[in-house]
Amino acid sequence: MRFLPLILAHLRRNWIRSLLTVLAMAVCIFLICTLRTFVAAVDQNLRTANASRLVTRHAVSLVFNVPVSYQERIASVPGVRRVAKVVWFGGARRVGDFSDFFPNLAVEADPYLDIYPEFLLTPDQRRAFLADQRGCVIGPDTAQRFGWKVGDTFSLESFIPPYRTGRPFDFVVSAIYATDEARYPGTDRTLMLFHYNYLWEATGRRIGVGNYALEIDDPGKAGVISRTIDEMFDNSDAQTKTETEAAFRASFVALAGNLALLLNSIGLAVSFTILLVTANTMAMAVRDRRTEIGVLKTLGFSSARVMGLILGEAALLGAAGGAIGLALSQVMIRALPRLPFIGNAVRGFRDLGLSPAVGSLGFGTALLIAFLAGIVPAVLAYRARITDLLRQT
Amino acid sequence: MAMVEVEAVRKVYRRDTQEIPVLAGIDLAVPEGEFVALRGPSGSGKTTLLNLIAGIDRPTSGTVRVAGTDLGQLSENALARWRSRHIGFIFQFYNLIPVLTAAENVELPLLLERLSRRERRERALLALKVVGLADRSQHYPRQLSGGQEQRVAIARAFVSDPKVLVADEPTGDLDAKSAGEILDLMETLNREFKKTIVMVTHDPRAADRAHVQRHLEKGVLTAS
Repeated sequence: MRFLPLILAHLRRNWIRSLLTVLAMAVCIFLICTLRTFVAAVDQNLRTANASRLVTRHAVSLVFNVPVSYQERIASVPGVRRVAKVVWFGGARRVGDFSDFFPNLAVEADPYLDIYPEFLLTPDQRRAFLADQRGCVIGPDTAQRFGWKVGDTFSLESFIPPYRTGRPFDFVVSAIYATDEARYPGTDRTLMLFHYNYLWEATGRRIGVGNYALEIDDPGKAGVISRTIDEMFDNSDAQTKTETEAAFRASFVALAGNLALLLNSIGLAVSFTILLVTANTMAMAVRDRRTEIGVLKTLGFSSARVMGLILGEAALLGAAGGAIGLALSQVMIRALPRLPFIGNAVRGFRDLGLSPAVGSLGFGTALLIAFLAGIVPAVLAYRARITDLLRQT
Repeated sequence: MAMVEVEAVRKVYRRDTQEIPVLAGIDLAVPEGEFVALRGPSGSGKTTLLNLIAGIDRPTSGTVRVAGTDLGQLSENALARWRSRHIGFIFQFYNLIPVLTAAENVELPLLLERLSRRERRERALLALKVVGLADRSQHYPRQLSGGQEQRVAIARAFVSDPKVLVADEPTGDLDAKSAGEILDLMETLNREFKKTIVMVTHDPRAADRAHVQRHLEKGVLTAS
């Protein structure tokens, strides 16, 4: 701490250079932390996928539906215990306004709730939901967000053309499902489920099925069952792709534009660039004051101490940049669910926030970059002879 | 026992495959409390000899003993520690740290000692008072004249109470009036604070202030 004022004084010497380096470092750490948080959220989402669940969808893309008639044939495949129709409705209270978007699915309620036991309903709640064509079940976070309670009504309109009927769909809150973090960790608390039949009837029975959710007897036979199903529809117009729930979720996330890969690449490139920028700053800072380093050594500062001062300077740059980067990342992660498109992809993720692990990684990266940037000039200063340093005068 | 003892010291610089002899078997003894001026033409080896006495360079052969310590026996770290306790160095171009105030510059050597911040500040202000710049303690070097900068540098050199002050052309960058003030100050440090001073100079007026003058010619001490 005795030497801190000396280090700070040196950083103030060319404060614009120091400030720009700190900001560059902050941008780098911001990107790394935001990326890692996003990737961690995706990982968590995939990890909570149930191994005994499969999803059958159109082989080309999620945006194409598969025929309703496939359900019986899929259900007949040995090893398949239950099949439920699912449609991603894409409804919002105001079409085109994604600020209050939340995930909403039209499902074949009875088998779906059996396949997905993590959405906890009491028998009465379930009966109430099944009995009302306009009924829906909402997650506790969505209920809290909009202040909805059982019996409340609201309307949604989809932005997806086949599900647009010219007027909004009216819903009644039949139940608010509960979750059990111990038994079913990471359960989505924002989902809305409503009856597939409501959508089917309202759209003139022409919409097909977005995907089928399957429950199988033996997770070990997932590969065989998937192949059997897909081979059944090989010669049809709508070929299918059956995959595990984890793989399905991963491909759904990929719809958001493979953001993880993009951010990963940008993060790495920026990190490397910032390393070069910081190394250049440190090299210039040390070169500018070779004589002063010679003076310090003459006064009795050991080579190791001089080296420590330079590394301390680099560490301060790194720490300041890291702290600002973490703060920016925290702000961005909080704002992420409200952003168009990306927000849709991440809104369902539980615990989307800057975790201590990601924060430590970001801060550690800042310090590592600072260390790598400072080590060469520090070693050169360590090894330089006093007489050579003073000769620069 | 002499404060500074230089025995049979040779210094050879190597440039590529060439060897350039700078000091050729120097013997010098400076008693405690002495004020010695080293004179000689450029390239005669004055600064090299001063650097050896200050422990910032090592001889090719021979022995340099200062305040009873054989500098050749010390590791780099030990030599740095020794310098901080025994040597005060005064440079021709002052070499103050531009981003530090006068008081902070004077405090620098004290950072290496176990002193509280308050003790460091008090000692630095006392040293500045001795050189007549107590009222300029918060000024940065760019706000001081050359003579004032050199006085701050002298305060920095003696603030940790070293036994020996070495000065490399301390008046070389100053006008006559400022040079006179600096030499007065050095005489005071020698007379009243009992500092042993070894000064390299070209300036005959500066050399006249010393008790003893030694002349270096082509790496050899030739006259007293």
